[in-house]
Amino acid sequence: MVTDLSDNPAAPMATAIHIRDLCFAYHTKPALHDVTLDIPTRQITAFIGPSGCGKSTLLRCFNRINDRIPGAHLTAGSIHIHGIEINRPDIDLQELRRRVGMVFQKYNPFKKSIYENVVFSPRLGGIRKRAALDELAETALRSAALWDEVKDRLHTSALALSGGQQQRLCIARAIANQPDILLMDEPCAALDPTATLKIEELLHQLKKHYTIVIVTHNMAQATRCADLTAFMYLGKLIESGPTLQIFTTPNNPQTLAYISGSFG
Amino acid sequence: MPPEESPSPQNQHCFQRRGFSYDRAIKYFFASNAGLTIVILLLIIVFLLKEGLGFFPGYRRELEIYRIAGLEFVDISRRNLTAHEQLSSVLNRAYFAEINGQCARELKRTREASAVFNSFSDQTSATRDLIVNNQNSGLDPNSEMLAALRKNHAIQKEKALTSLPATPHLTAAEREQLLASIRTRDATATDDPPLVTTLAQQYAAAQQQCAKPLAELRTVIDSFEAAGADLSTLVTEMTDAVTSTKEALQNADLLEQNRKSLLAAAANAKDPTERRKLLADAHASLAEKPDIEGPMRALMRRQPDCSATHTALRHACADILARLPPSLSQSDANRLLRAANKATPLLLDSLGQAPQQITQWRHDKPVPLSDAIRSFLTGKDWVTGGAWQDFYGILPLLIGSLMISFVALCLAIPAGVGAAIYINQFASPTEQSVVKPVIEFIAAIPSVVLGFIGILIFGTVLRDLSQLDALAWVPGFPIEERLNMFTAGCLLALMSIPTIFSLAEDALNNVPSAYAEASDALGASRIQTSFRVIIPAAFSGILAAVLLGLGRVIGETMVVLLVAGNRIKIPDFSAGLGSFFQPSHTLTGIIAQELGEVPLGSVHYRALFVVGILLFGIVLGINVTAHKFVSRTPN
Ligand SMILES: Nc1ncnc2c1ncn2[C@@H]1O[C@H](COP(=O)(O)OP(=O)(O)OP(=O)(O)O)[C@@H](O)[C@H]1O
Ligand SMILES: [Mg+2]
Repeated sequence: MVTDLSDNPAAPMATAIHIRDLCFAYHTKPALHDVTLDIPTRQITAFIGPSGCGKSTLLRCFNRINDRIPGAHLTAGSIHIHGIEINRPDIDLQELRRRVGMVFQKYNPFKKSIYENVVFSPRLGGIRKRAALDELAETALRSAALWDEVKDRLHTSALALSGGQQQRLCIARAIANQPDILLMDEPCAALDPTATLKIEELLHQLKKHYTIVIVTHNMAQATRCADLTAFMYLGKLIESGPTLQIFTTPNNPQTLAYISGSFG
Repeated sequence: MPPEESPSPQNQHCFQRRGFSYDRAIKYFFASNAGLTIVILLLIIVFLLKEGLGFFPGYRRELEIYRIAGLEFVDISRRNLTAHEQLSSVLNRAYFAEINGQCARELKRTREASAVFNSFSDQTSATRDLIVNNQNSGLDPNSEMLAALRKNHAIQKEKALTSLPATPHLTAAEREQLLASIRTRDATATDDPPLVTTLAQQYAAAQQQCAKPLAELRTVIDSFEAAGADLSTLVTEMTDAVTSTKEALQNADLLEQNRKSLLAAAANAKDPTERRKLLADAHASLAEKPDIEGPMRALMRRQPDCSATHTALRHACADILARLPPSLSQSDANRLLRAANKATPLLLDSLGQAPQQITQWRHDKPVPLSDAIRSFLTGKDWVTGGAWQDFYGILPLLIGSLMISFVALCLAIPAGVGAAIYINQFASPTEQSVVKPVIEFIAAIPSVVLGFIGILIFGTVLRDLSQLDALAWVPGFPIEERLNMFTAGCLLALMSIPTIFSLAEDALNNVPSAYAEASDALGASRIQTSFRVIIPAAFSGILAAVLLGLGRVIGETMVVLLVAGNRIKIPDFSAGLGSFFQPSHTLTGIIAQELGEVPLGSVHYRALFVVGILLFGIVLGINVTAHKFVSRTPN
């Protein structure tokens, strides 16, 4: 199911993430060149491109998790989220990351119970009341379509879940923070087709409430889920637009070459 | 390629048949090394068990002799006699504390004056002795040599006079007088300076003065002491009798052992003359059965006498102790009096029960092996090499080891784990590169050196500190013994910090970075990430680190031997936390101290082996548990 919003000018899209002329480098080695892109709210945007082209790097700029990597830094350009430049020195990183959640390629629940994983961030936010936490946990797990599978074993170890369940638990954990934006870096890379399908269904549900940016190597997944697709190559954003258009009538020959499978 | 360089098929074949290749040789070399360690470990265990398990039958026999020779019977009375003597010693100390407290001024004055004079004598004795010895050996009193010696002595005298101890309780005039008398003192004079004598006399007079109102207390104590005389005589008489029986029994045992080994040798001997000779020797070694019935009957005839003495002593003690004053004026004396009051009912109780114990005691009650095991595991006395009776009770050693380890862990866990958390989570790379090697360097200090530091610096400083009035509120202060469990615990903590630190740091390092990343991405701060994600994830690893640290502490020998004070006694727990400041002995220390001196194969020797087995078991258990925890860490 693909929603082509470009055909529908009656519903102008608000911009969630506003990227201008972004250049990024690891130490002296540049990884992104002049990336300019608008990511609309409550839509799914997919980043595609060959390995090493900088998809993850770009995604990780949005919640500044790249700051963890020594030597990684922005060399030029700006990223505005909700109209605010997030690379300003006075940005409260914790608040930013609460608003911009992230799900990683390799599912990484903490070595705690399922329940404790989900209520991790609410607890950080200072919520102590058991009832409130219980409710938050249930909502988050339901949103992540995991509730029915785990409701009887909330207090058992999260590491005992299957891979797909663990990844959905990570999504629930991110959702429990009540973010506006969800970043997903190849969320299905470590999962089998059934689990992948479950996550994709989940994405459609989540789209109603969250702006989602997803990195994927799976063309079919991009066509199935994404409203918009951005193609990157060698650190540059080559082309972006509605998914249908990118996959049917790309403007750039490199894009065409990539989606038709001649490289990557 | 010339043909001789490549091996011919024939050669290759030979080579293969012998099964030799460098790869295999190397493999077998390492395999044999690994195998050797396992074999050695097994041999050690077998050896420990073989030497150790012989202990229990041997100890059982000792306890049996203890009973059938009647020592156990005498011990009923002995224990009461000792309790009585201890109580009278406490009362005496209270009495003298009271007197000395009352004439504290005179005591201090005489002490200070003597201290001045003694210090002077010490510093000048060398030069003085030279003069006296030369004069005595008939040197001409006017000779040049003597004059030189005299001059030397005078110089030394002047030097000594400038470095004499302070005398805060003497008036300036008195000190002046004392110094003058010392200065004008002849080298050959032997009497004390007049002021020293006067002050000593004053002190004696004051003592007498103070003793007058205490005459009543003195008579109470004297009559209390006198009341024990009967029991004392009785015990002495019985002791002589039973020790000779015991010796006879032990000699018979020795002869019997000797005979058995001779017989065994004879059975193995090939040469018939040799065998005959051995058999004859064995026959000669046949011990005549020592008479135990006779002495025992004599001992049993004393039973009524013994009971009566106890009953009489109990009544006398109750009467006499009731006349003790309710309190004394000096705080020291009062404390001792309170201790005496606490001990009184115990003594009376014990004396009251004695007649029943005496009549119920049976010399022919069998001593099963379980008695020996129980006495070893739950015995409160470890007494060895004594003239009376040896006891091998593990409790004082075990408690010492555990208490010292407790102190060590209480200090090492916060320090080691805290340092690991800081270094792993918060420190800058420069701090890491400095702190890590420094902590690991501690492990390189030989434990003897550490023990040295413990005795000379740490123990002394701690005791001096504990004497400060400002610290008197700390339980156990002021410390009586320089070497005690606390000091040993502190040093062991220092020794185990590198172990705990390194292993805990490894455990923290092993937490996958994905955890920290996920936590960061959820908006956790640095501290929240550390304390809510990383440390909980590393918890089992940290626990393992602590356990391995404990294993290190329990097995450590040198430091405890040097610093723990080596007093084989269960600490007096009535001191509360202060009981950690008492000296004690340990499982490891006792082996190190006694193993060198015991006769090979004796019961004592075997007892030490059993202690070793126990220690081995404890440390093994700790390590196995620790490895269980290690395997639980993620990835
Ligand atoms: N931590 C890092 N340190 C240095 N260089 C890095 C680091 N991470 C990525 N890079 C470099 O930045 C470039 C972009 O990497 P990035 O991970 O964004 O690629 P990607 O598009 O996500 O690839 P993939 O599809 O394989 O995940 C690569 O050339 C990579 O070598
Ligand atoms: Mg990537």
